[in-house]
Amino acid sequence: MAIAVTITEPAESRIFQGKKSVEPILRTENLWKLYRAGKVEVPALRGVNFEVLPGESVAVMGPSGCGKSSLLYVIGGLAQATRGKVLVDGNDLTALTDSARTKLRRSKIGFVFQRFNLLPTLTAKGNIAIAQFIHGDGFDPHRFDVVTQMLGLAGRLQHKPSELSGGEQQRVAIARAIINEPKILLADEPTGNLDSKNSEIVLQMLRQLNKELGQTIVMITHNPEATTYFDRVVHMRDGVIVDGVPAD
Amino acid sequence: MMGELILRNLVHRPMRTFIALAGIGFEVMLIITIVGLTGGLLTETAKRIEGIGADVMLQPPAASPLLSFSGAPMPAKIAERVAELKYVRDVAPALLQFNSSSAVETIWGIDKDSFRAVSGGFVFLAGHDMEGPDDMLVDDWAAKAKNLKAGDTYNVFNHDWYIAGIVEHGKGARIFVPLATLQALVAARDKASIFLIKCTRPEHTDAVMDEMRSLLPGYTVRPLRDFLSLMTSTNIPGLNSFISAMIALAVCIGLLVIFLTMYTSVIERTRDIGVLKSLGANHWFVIRSLLSESAVLCLLGVAAGVALSYLVRAGFLWKFPTLSILITPDWIFNAGMIALAGAMLGATYPAWLASRKDAVEALSYD
Repeated sequence: MAIAVTITEPAESRIFQGKKSVEPILRTENLWKLYRAGKVEVPALRGVNFEVLPGESVAVMGPSGCGKSSLLYVIGGLAQATRGKVLVDGNDLTALTDSARTKLRRSKIGFVFQRFNLLPTLTAKGNIAIAQFIHGDGFDPHRFDVVTQMLGLAGRLQHKPSELSGGEQQRVAIARAIINEPKILLADEPTGNLDSKNSEIVLQMLRQLNKELGQTIVMITHNPEATTYFDRVVHMRDGVIVDGVPAD
Repeated sequence: MMGELILRNLVHRPMRTFIALAGIGFEVMLIITIVGLTGGLLTETAKRIEGIGADVMLQPPAASPLLSFSGAPMPAKIAERVAELKYVRDVAPALLQFNSSSAVETIWGIDKDSFRAVSGGFVFLAGHDMEGPDDMLVDDWAAKAKNLKAGDTYNVFNHDWYIAGIVEHGKGARIFVPLATLQALVAARDKASIFLIKCTRPEHTDAVMDEMRSLLPGYTVRPLRDFLSLMTSTNIPGLNSFISAMIALAVCIGLLVIFLTMYTSVIERTRDIGVLKSLGANHWFVIRSLLSESAVLCLLGVAAGVALSYLVRAGFLWKFPTLSILITPDWIFNAGMIALAGAMLGATYPAWLASRKDAVEALSYD
């Protein structure tokens, strides 16, 4: 019930008004990420401070090259921060070994990518089930049925990615990302490769996940319309967050 | 799930899987066939020597058990001295001559009476015993291989022989000619390569051997009852090295095939590896999946290789009926293990490479 309250109330107002009734599930402190191009270090993130509350949905917008994807990869534990802190559910990713970061990612993070990134050799069912297998709890048929039914995949499970439409592939990717009930779902332009109809379906599903299951979501997007499905929109420019306002 | 992932990966690129299977299969077939050929040759030869029925064989000093390469350095008169020994019932000299001009074969020159006394005689399938100086006996396998029958003429050592009879195989050689004729043909008059000795009773063999060693110090005296145990690759100079070299060659083929297969797989599946890592797969999961895939590929290749070995053996025996290729469960297992070890070695680097891939770079790989 406490989570439901948190979700319905715009999260930004709580943070900015200093009424932090709930600890952030994700927080970055002065986060830096530098990439090395030969002898030159190129900063992708320049001291990002960012918070997401449990059950909140946040859209991150900004021009290409502003560091959105880098932020997503660092907070998802796929890339190591150069400086600063990343706290995921109380665990500082920057202090963890690669192995511990992998373990944390396995249990607390789900990824959805722009290019779907389904394993081409497996069926839709296999693509979802492999996430459960890697998670280590084995195949949970009940959870599997709930997720696939919710995402409208029940009739497409035996098909390979090449036999699915873009929208269906992305729904499989979402199912794979949430099958293990991660604390945070990170989506990297999930509608970037979809037409407007399928984009809307995917965005509605993400909102449904957020509102009905309380799934915390951080999504990167170029699409201003997509932000209307989210509690809060954050803008990035040149590796820093320039504002953070509640969405309409 | 891991099994499904492996299976689907193998089915996804059927041509690559087929080539890998063929490579491993060829490796296994090569090992089984080379070992089978040498083992078969040695075993079959040993059985033929044992099949003569003699108790002891006398050879020149430091002679090899591989009789085909025996010369004719012993005076035939030794037979008379050996025959005088206590417990010796019969002695049969034989001159062995290796022929590689028209075919690869060993011709035995025998004295038909003494050979019959020692061996109990031939079983004739066609024709009759040698009667003239140019008569030849051929065993049934050689007759089949060379398409010979009683009454035909067969040229060996630039000499036309008359096929007097076809005999049942298993009496030392495949081709027999009169001792005196062969001695004259190869300029080894009154010489013999080996002497076959029949004791009055089998239990006198050791006593006869002791006496022979005293009589002819330095000469090689072998009991024929365990001749089979002598005919191993370790007793044939150079054979073990040859087998080892062939196995090493086969392993190199298998190792390279698996290495290339898995290396290209890893390159092709770069993004998939990134996806697995984004799902929380650790280094070990990636390594395990690739090594398991290599192991499955290898085991399927081993099965194909064993089947191929039997096919090759059938082909060889059809073309060369006198050959013997001994395929044993021991060497099927050994070849499988060798192939598996090679495959694991070949897959280790690609698997390690995959496990070390940066997840972000892998995800952006095109």
